[in-house]
Amino acid sequence: MKYIILPFFVFFTIISSEAQEAVTKGKELFGDLKARQIGPALMSGRISDLEVHPSNDRIIYAGTAGGGVWKSVDGGAKFQSIFDDYCQSVGAVVLDPSQPDKVVWVGTGETWTRNSVSAGNGIYRSGDGGTNWQKMGLENSERIGNIIVHPKNSDIVYVAVLGALWSDSEDRGVYKTTDGGKTWNKILYVNKTTGCADLAIDPSNPGTLYASFWEFRRTPWSFSSGGHSSALYKSTDEGKTWAKIHNGLPAGQLGRMGIAVAPSNPNILYTVVESEQNKDKGLYRSDDAGISWKLLSNDFGLVVRPFYFSRIVVDPKNPEVVVKGGLFGSISRDGGKTFKNLGPMHADIHDIAFDIKNSDRMYVGTDGGVYRTWDGGNTMEMVENLPVSQFYHVTVDNQTPYNIYGGLQDNGSWYGPSSSPGGIEARDWHSVGVGDGFRVYPHPTKKIVYSEMQGADNIWRLDVDRQQVKTIQPLPVEGDPKLRFNWNTSITTSPNKPDRIYVGSQFLHKSEDMGDNWVKISPDLTTNDPAKQDQASSGGLSRDNSGAENHCTIFTIAESELDEKIVWVGTDDGQVQVTQDGGKTWKNVSATLPGLPKNTWCYHIEPSHFRKGSAYAVFDGHSMGDMKPYAYKTTDFGATWTSIITPEIEGFTRSLKEDYVNENLLFLGTELGLYVTMNGGKNWMKFTNNVPAVAVMHIAQHKGTNDIILATHGRGVIIIDDVSPLRQINETTLNKELHFFDLNPLTVIEENGFGGASGETQFVGPNPSKSARFAYYLKKRHTFGKMTMEIQDLQGNKLSELTPGKSKGINVVEWNFRTKSPKVAGGKTFSAGSMTAPRVPAGKYKVVIQKGNDTFSQEFEVKMIRLLQ
Amino acid sequence: MKAIKLVTMVLFLSISGMSYAQTVQEILDKYVENTGGRAKWEALKGMKMTASVNQQGMEIPLTIISLKDGRQTTNINFQGMSIKQNVFDGTTLWSTNFMSMKAEKSDAETTAIFKATSTDFPDPLLNYKAKGYQVELLGKESIEGTETFKIKLTKKPVMVEGQLQDDISYYFFDTENFIRIMIENEIKTGQGKGMVSQVTMSDYQEVDGLFFPFSMAQGVKGLGSQPIVISKIELNPTVEDSEFVFPEE
Repeated sequence: MKYIILPFFVFFTIISSEAQEAVTKGKELFGDLKARQIGPALMSGRISDLEVHPSNDRIIYAGTAGGGVWKSVDGGAKFQSIFDDYCQSVGAVVLDPSQPDKVVWVGTGETWTRNSVSAGNGIYRSGDGGTNWQKMGLENSERIGNIIVHPKNSDIVYVAVLGALWSDSEDRGVYKTTDGGKTWNKILYVNKTTGCADLAIDPSNPGTLYASFWEFRRTPWSFSSGGHSSALYKSTDEGKTWAKIHNGLPAGQLGRMGIAVAPSNPNILYTVVESEQNKDKGLYRSDDAGISWKLLSNDFGLVVRPFYFSRIVVDPKNPEVVVKGGLFGSISRDGGKTFKNLGPMHADIHDIAFDIKNSDRMYVGTDGGVYRTWDGGNTMEMVENLPVSQFYHVTVDNQTPYNIYGGLQDNGSWYGPSSSPGGIEARDWHSVGVGDGFRVYPHPTKKIVYSEMQGADNIWRLDVDRQQVKTIQPLPVEGDPKLRFNWNTSITTSPNKPDRIYVGSQFLHKSEDMGDNWVKISPDLTTNDPAKQDQASSGGLSRDNSGAENHCTIFTIAESELDEKIVWVGTDDGQVQVTQDGGKTWKNVSATLPGLPKNTWCYHIEPSHFRKGSAYAVFDGHSMGDMKPYAYKTTDFGATWTSIITPEIEGFTRSLKEDYVNENLLFLGTELGLYVTMNGGKNWMKFTNNVPAVAVMHIAQHKGTNDIILATHGRGVIIIDDVSPLRQINETTLNKELHFFDLNPLTVIEENGFGGASGETQFVGPNPSKSARFAYYLKKRHTFGKMTMEIQDLQGNKLSELTPGKSKGINVVEWNFRTKSPKVAGGKTFSAGSMTAPRVPAGKYKVVIQKGNDTFSQEFEVKMIRLLQ
Repeated sequence: MKAIKLVTMVLFLSISGMSYAQTVQEILDKYVENTGGRAKWEALKGMKMTASVNQQGMEIPLTIISLKDGRQTTNINFQGMSIKQNVFDGTTLWSTNFMSMKAEKSDAETTAIFKATSTDFPDPLLNYKAKGYQVELLGKESIEGTETFKIKLTKKPVMVEGQLQDDISYYFFDTENFIRIMIENEIKTGQGKGMVSQVTMSDYQEVDGLFFPFSMAQGVKGLGSQPIVISKIELNPTVEDSEFVFPEE
């Protein structure tokens, strides 16, 4: 028996002051420019961990893969987001058993380590049920598998730190605090490649702990699960000493193992083992608190994809009822001898929680949200208000209102409107693809949609009016090598030729007839490194050949809107290539990127709207263990590049958008939120008004409305309506006491009011305002004295009174185009006709603000009514 | 050279440390002082506010009366009819039903929650200890672009849907003037359960030596708000007892 005793490690919290300042400055400027989160929630997103309150069965917490933490106070009918400002990738949510109404612990960093998994940045604690949060260290833990608070002593907490997925790390193992999280000791460590995947405690004897260790590693082109360092450990002295408990478990290399103690009989343990031989894999049970193990079942549902499913949950009342996460989820009622699938619901079950009073009631976390059952898992009902959908990409069309297109992790491809009567409801969204969805493009002029599924297994062209689908992905022709498509295959349309479409394998394929015929217009633009092309043997102990690790592929394609012959290509192995002659000749311009590690994934290229030679390139090195942000600008077709990253930016970079009017206004999406610069990248502010610290995978801008549309990987689609005031932010405007932003003519929009059939428990995305919006900048918040705002005709007659915004920064005040309602004589009943004020006719008006003794005014025009379709 | 740098750094740290060392009591004291002084606030016996809510161009006039003994009423005068909302006479909480225009009592739980606030006048933070409340400074937060102190107020627990719950609200005082600019509360019951209600305050003006916000906006976090503009505040008004009495038929 081997004992491992480790030195004392203490973590220090490091907060970058620049990063904090970017948040504060953003809050001081953006003011009323608020984003709206339109979901959708109909397909929801991946749930990583569930937690129920130990004595109040109405309270349930859900930790998500990329959408933060959600809390229900009504037995799972409705959930509210409670973790917006912090890392949205969650590994574990746990309540303190001694103060479950108050103390909540959240370990960030999901541990279901698929290729698209995000990364965490430490552990957080709330002392008031999730309203306020404090970071409690473990900054470099990257992913946390479980947290256990001592059942009697709130100061003692154990944490299972799985640690870094893409690199070696010493920040792994079991950590313990005895002072409520102020300091942490690493009490069990194995090595740089092996982390703690699961941790369990004997609730009746809290000195006894069980820990499962897992050797694992990802690269962009491979995944490996298992090794000689994976093991199960037990401690009986509060973690001071640990011993392996393998009596009865298979010898040789082991993979990921879950561990669970039956709460009603702590001598009964369950584990699920990934091992070398298929016959040894499966569910093991111990009836003697880990002294010996026996294999009971190796059904497919128990052994499938251990890296993605390893959670075991035992009924709190009955030690013979055990549930295991899996493709469909498996439940046994005979102590693990036989299993059946849980009822039909979204596939990929990651966690299960039993109701504390009635074990027939269960909550299940899947790749498609939270499900509830009332009959022991036979019938499953979906929670319809969890908008934690994981978009990879977003595009828009030019209809009114415009539509939003995008694909999601394990949830297909969709489009839906940016506005709909009664709000954007589930029924407003249309499915345009199955499987894992990624990039979806509308044809620029026809009612045609292109979509795809994992690794270009299919690329579809959907004729929306005729409901005809054609499969159009480029196929190899004679003499071609095997085509390599990324899991998230790059597709794009042309801003110059409506019928043109590009698809990237290792070659760039172009079609001039909407995908009917293809030509290769490039040689292999990647490094074509054979060492990175063995994805078919990926997986480690459990072969996992999904195609998710295809590498040396084209990842981003962009044709310049200024010249159709200029096309930029970026590859997942760090190559930036550009042609200026429509693909006849290509130039590799990646050697001139200053400070960029070789082969860093090129995530996005954005050709400038203003100069042919100008473009932006965004790189993401996280899948090689490099979490730094990288974004560059060139003005000479890539001959030279300048970094536009400052220390204000947190999180690795995914996406960038250049405003189409002001070239100094840029939007940058990182793994931890959205950043905005108004001076071409000299400094950045974080945009936090309803944009959580979520991975912003892609950014689109709608030219008609000046809206910015974000594809987030965990909080659905987020829209910032009309960002045009940001174009006018500069030194001069920032120094005025009050500055009115320029106004375009205002249009009155008509719409029927017949939407809104969704119930209280269904998510409905908010619409943009249909009112006139007046925007002005205030240098300082107005707190003392009178401030009024009114609409006047050009002669100065008051037509309507508005309530001015008083925040420091940008204020937006809405006006419904109406004058004052008429005065009515007193009567016995109300006169409803008087409750609606008349609208103003089209024409010129002015808006006037009186602030103390100062008057500010701005003229504007109201235009005729435009009808919505 | 290095030593000098170190000394300046230590000095800087200690100075910035000092500026953070505001205690809750100091912040609340300054707030009371800057809005008129403790003696004046404690002497206040009641107030009558004339206000209006602007609903899509339609102005709804309101009169809000609140007295030190906890009695209060909101009177709406609309198209010649008088409608009363949230009237509390010390024991009964009632409102006019908009459909029947008749007075109806609130349910027992709502009444109890309301009654628990009856010692709050004129401000729950004034002499909070005597009221059995607790306060805590949680740190700084940007509200409406302005740096504020965030103070947590814990009142006595209240019964919600049959369960005893903590009654917590958050007060935000700007760090420049120590003036309250926002209050947050968790909504405990009804459709917005679990959401956070927000009230922002501005246009502070003096009335007989005390400062009051003449503009407020009440709403739900993330979902917009409803402004209320106050045109007149009368201190220590004369009010008939009949204002608060539940009209028996």
